[in-house]
Amino acid sequence: MLPAIASRIATAMVTLFIVTFVVFALLCALPGEPQGGDDASRPLPPEYRAALRAQYHLDEPWPARYGRWVTDLLRGELGTSFSAQQPVAAMLKERFPVSAGLNALALLAMLGIAVPLGILSAARPDGPWDRAGWIATTALYAVPVFWTALLLQWLFAIRLGWLPLSGISTDGARHPSAGFAFADAAWHLVLPAACLASGGLAYVSRFVRTNIVESTAGEGGRAARARGLSMLQYAARHGVVQAVVPLLTLAGFLIPRLVGGSLLIEAIFNVPGLGSLLFDSILSRDLPVVLALTLLSGLATLFGTTLSDVLILWLDPRVRHAR
Amino acid sequence: MKRRAVYSFFAAAAALALGACAGSPPHKDNDVRVAIYSDPSSLSLIGNSDLNSSQIASMISDGLVAYDARGHYVPMVASTWEISPDGTTVTFHLRDGVLWHDGERVTSRDVAYTVAKARDPATLSRSWASALANVASFETPNDSTFVVHYTAPYADALEPWRLPLVPEHVASKDANFLSGAFAHHPIGCGPFRFVSHDPGQRAVLAAFDRYWGGRPAIDHLIFKIVSSERTAYESLLLDELDLLAVTPDLWRDALNAPAAARLARFIYYRFSAWKIDWNQNEATPFFHDKRVRRALLLALDRKRFAETVSAGLARPGVSSYPPESPWADPSIEALPFDPRESARLLDEAGWRVPSPGHLREKDGVPFEFTLILTAGAQEIADRSAAWMQQSLAEVGVGMKIVKLGSEAFKQQRKTHAFEAAMGTIAFDATPDRFDLYHSTANVDGFNYGSFSDAEVDRLLEEGRATVDPAARRIVYDRLQHRIDDLQPLAFLFQFAQPVLHDPDLEGIVPSAVGLFQFTPGPRAWHWSSARGRN
Repeated sequence: MLPAIASRIATAMVTLFIVTFVVFALLCALPGEPQGGDDASRPLPPEYRAALRAQYHLDEPWPARYGRWVTDLLRGELGTSFSAQQPVAAMLKERFPVSAGLNALALLAMLGIAVPLGILSAARPDGPWDRAGWIATTALYAVPVFWTALLLQWLFAIRLGWLPLSGISTDGARHPSAGFAFADAAWHLVLPAACLASGGLAYVSRFVRTNIVESTAGEGGRAARARGLSMLQYAARHGVVQAVVPLLTLAGFLIPRLVGGSLLIEAIFNVPGLGSLLFDSILSRDLPVVLALTLLSGLATLFGTTLSDVLILWLDPRVRHAR
Repeated sequence: MKRRAVYSFFAAAAALALGACAGSPPHKDNDVRVAIYSDPSSLSLIGNSDLNSSQIASMISDGLVAYDARGHYVPMVASTWEISPDGTTVTFHLRDGVLWHDGERVTSRDVAYTVAKARDPATLSRSWASALANVASFETPNDSTFVVHYTAPYADALEPWRLPLVPEHVASKDANFLSGAFAHHPIGCGPFRFVSHDPGQRAVLAAFDRYWGGRPAIDHLIFKIVSSERTAYESLLLDELDLLAVTPDLWRDALNAPAAARLARFIYYRFSAWKIDWNQNEATPFFHDKRVRRALLLALDRKRFAETVSAGLARPGVSSYPPESPWADPSIEALPFDPRESARLLDEAGWRVPSPGHLREKDGVPFEFTLILTAGAQEIADRSAAWMQQSLAEVGVGMKIVKLGSEAFKQQRKTHAFEAAMGTIAFDATPDRFDLYHSTANVDGFNYGSFSDAEVDRLLEEGRATVDPAARRIVYDRLQHRIDDLQPLAFLFQFAQPVLHDPDLEGIVPSAVGLFQFTPGPRAWHWSSARGRN
């Protein structure tokens, strides 16, 4: 197992560098340059423009600039943002908890609804729960996420006034403790998390349902029913366990979302996470930030898939013995 | 401890939920909440400036002078000044008793420090570096006198001194001006002091009690960072904002929405315009002749478009001196809609219709050009382009429309790789248009169409060097008439800026320089004494 994991990490590292190289090349090929300054009411003096180009090494060929970035990275430096003029590492540190919190909430909501729904659907395949669940989740999956977001905002924030419209904290709130501040943030994240979760409900619930139905049809399922267990009891007691292993594989791919953030949802709900940072950085040609986020997202993918491999190995003796 | 945190979490959640379910209105103090659409790029007052950071900086720190609502210079930290007869030296006398927010006194050394920082490319002080480009040297003979020498007579000698001042005793402690402690917690000498900045959420300023010009009437000025204009508008309807500049579409929505009926509203015009650059370089055969440029504008019924399509939120553009400018010559008016005169001028310029239903031609070249514009900029830009296309077809001129990403658009314009380009332009209150029209401004300036006229060049140079206001006005009147005759650019429209606000918020004065960057600006805003009783 260990050599396999080591080999996977090595491959992933090479892939990561290829990805950052391609992203770097693409951003350099786009028209415009950072700190263009042409929007001001007066043009930049030429000597000032030249100093800026020198500061960002814009007169060097882009492969040389990529080499400079890699060298800095190997020294543990992610560079300075062109737009904000702040260390990139500090910016990521500031935004990471927001994206992680939002996506963890969304993941919890998704699993909290989709797994019971999958069990109910599997208890009576093609029964009323199965059909209703399928229609509801497929409808949610089919609706574009920005549309869901606008509908939720209109209903819960504007029409009913139950939840905040956007942002992650209340204006002028003076929280007496960290618990209040946390609750305020969680309160603000209810709508964006619901939106993020809505798209995944369909495939996770169908995934759970299919795995349970398959296991029910097997010898274990038949034996359990012979012992007098109902389909729902079997699904809840044994089917879920059968579905855990494939679900972990799926979760391995969901972890990168915790880091990558959700570009659209963060933009609509004004959540200052990594997704909105990526969006702004691409628009402003902020190379150091885009590259750092690409790297972070790649590392999270690597971490997620490796973690799910290790967990499966630990949980499933069949896999262990097969090796 | 852990248990206490859990209890407080649930208590807070319950309190929030109860508050929301009861539909209780948000608590309002003596604060004003306005929207901005992205984080300020820097809080360092002068560095890495974009529109949002400049707006916030102008609240936190004063310059030596400022614009008033009409765009005239008024004394701020400098109480008086003298300009030498040759226009190369300005001596500023600093006002007594101007304090930084930490209680220290503002001195001429702070002014000198600010200028040196703004001129340093590492500060990325884009607009101020341009304004200070003509400064040859400066000196501080004593704590309350600051003297600046220009490289040449400079009629707009006061313009750079709107620069917000930076306290040397605080900012100089940072090794890196843009990422040090000062850039995270700036100190200024303006009417509002910095309180906090939650990235992506809000920047909060508080009234400075010891402001030399008197404490602002409101306690806090909160800049809420909102992701979109629509969200900001909804926030205003939900009473989460107090004042908002809206797009024409949202303005129309507000006219009909019952939830917006309680709001007060007004429109105002800024020093800005929608214009078309006609490329007059060798590679483009269409726009060298002034008769053609005039004819194209005469073919457009701009008044009708302004009244119908833009619902009264626009007016035909006159020139680069909008009517709000104190330098505008009132005898110059917008060109009328006159398709017959347009056709006559095109015929006269040699662009004739070969047969009915065909495009005009000259030397075998059909008159069909491409207009570039920024994709997704504003809906009104798309409508204007489509309407232009239709109107020009009526006089036998073909126009293709190409939408580009904003960076590609800027790149094409800057490298003169276009035929016609539609975009906006913003002016400051000075009459200097050197960067727009001078033949040398086609390299690093805004003369994207490579317009060149010796008389215009001469007047621009003379205007910059003429210090006497009366003599200067004569020069710029001449320039405006010359520009009106040559029509180097087409000033299509001036679009109005609609504003919605809480009816109890009073003292808002619209100015052509915006709502913030003039004095008194937000310092004069106050809540009505009848507030809460309505």
